[in-house]
Amino acid sequence: MINIALPKGRLGEKDYHLFEKAGYEFEGVHEAGRRLVFVNKELDMRCFWVKPFDVPVYVERGVADIGAAGKDILMERDPDVYELLDLNVGKCRMCVAGLEEFSESECRNRALRVATEFPNIARDYYSGLGREIDVIVLRGSLELAPVLGLSDVIVDIVETGTTLRENNLAVIATIAELSARLIANKSAFKFKGEAIHEIIRRLQH
Amino acid sequence: MLLTIEENAALNLRALYQDFGYSFFRMRRFEEYDFYAGKKDFLSSSHILTFTDLNGKLMALRPDVTLSIIKNVSHGKYYYDEKVYRVPKNSDTFREIPQVGIENIGSLSGDDVREVVSLAIVSLETISEGRDFVLDVADAGIVAGFTPQPEMLACLAAKNIHGLRELNAPDELIALAENPPDELEILDNLNYRPEIHVDFSAVSSLNYYNGLVFKGYIDGLPEAVLSGGQYDGARMGIDSRGAGFAVYLDVVGGLRND
Repeated sequence: MINIALPKGRLGEKDYHLFEKAGYEFEGVHEAGRRLVFVNKELDMRCFWVKPFDVPVYVERGVADIGAAGKDILMERDPDVYELLDLNVGKCRMCVAGLEEFSESECRNRALRVATEFPNIARDYYSGLGREIDVIVLRGSLELAPVLGLSDVIVDIVETGTTLRENNLAVIATIAELSARLIANKSAFKFKGEAIHEIIRRLQH
Repeated sequence: MLLTIEENAALNLRALYQDFGYSFFRMRRFEEYDFYAGKKDFLSSSHILTFTDLNGKLMALRPDVTLSIIKNVSHGKYYYDEKVYRVPKNSDTFREIPQVGIENIGSLSGDDVREVVSLAIVSLETISEGRDFVLDVADAGIVAGFTPQPEMLACLAAKNIHGLRELNAPDELIALAENPPDELEILDNLNYRPEIHVDFSAVSSLNYYNGLVFKGYIDGLPEAVLSGGQYDGARMGIDSRGAGFAVYLDVVGGLRND
């Protein structure tokens, strides 16, 4: 039995669509409801929806053999898993953004206040630049932070940039290009390798 | 059953190593902190649990066994059954991790290195309770030859081929990740049992092991249960080299769940 962890939400639906196109369908996925686990006995596969941030946890701990996770979440959590394939969906960027009139040189004499949902990514990025920062962890509506003066900049995912523009924010720097990745538990890859290779082969077609 | 799975595994492994001519190495659970201060690069986590001894000296609860053994002896075959104190990755607290392992110390011949690999395989067989197991082997020396950046090493350990390409890694390094050779030169003449796979994702760091590295997995356990390789103490300021491995008994305990 191959267990697959997929992220709930918009990206997860794109990921599931890829599996569907590759011939891995699970009955009932498209029905409205609260079911989280779907089994395809014929394929000997099971898929389940979990919070996007939790996909690497399920895979690292071996409850799921494989999973689809955004590169942002892999960068933030740094799980000990194999990253086997770029699924090329959910493309966006991890960016630093700030008010259009923001000027870095004006806050050179103190720690830069950075609001983000991704504290590890923010710390890694700024420690690479040798810049001291004050990380403010938020759980959404990041755009508000610079507008209300809670932070100087934000580190966040930017897809089209529309939300940024609507709040008078602009991208200052791109930290990384993001997309969904197929990850696998290291041990499962040893013992269910053939089945996992077959999934990769069909996903690539 | 009187003994837990971990205790049972520890006793069976100790009997095995004794049979192979290794002698038991018993050590204190703490070292002077100074001993580790200059060796942080060689420890899997930079956190060390410290306390102040009655004479004012800063002491450390051992985060690693190998360093403590090779500091004291420059040749011989030893096995141990000890606890180490580490902060596991993505954790925010120290854990006591029980380990049983061996060290074969000295300038090793090819036979010695092959014996360490064979012992690793037999160790996996001993604790696997009839399940399938695999030993991934690789040569860290070959990887070091490419002087890869840390990001490339992370991609290698994650079998992240698209990531290696993005970083413009050397083609030869990508080839090692994608299509490793069937056999390794440093394991020349080894009897390659079907459980032994050449797999360069076993190289996760170049700080500790500089030759052969290997990792063992058992079907049903989500992470590596055995890890080891060849090291040169000179790189850690210790005049000793050798090869060895540790079996993580806390991971072995997972066999109880199903």
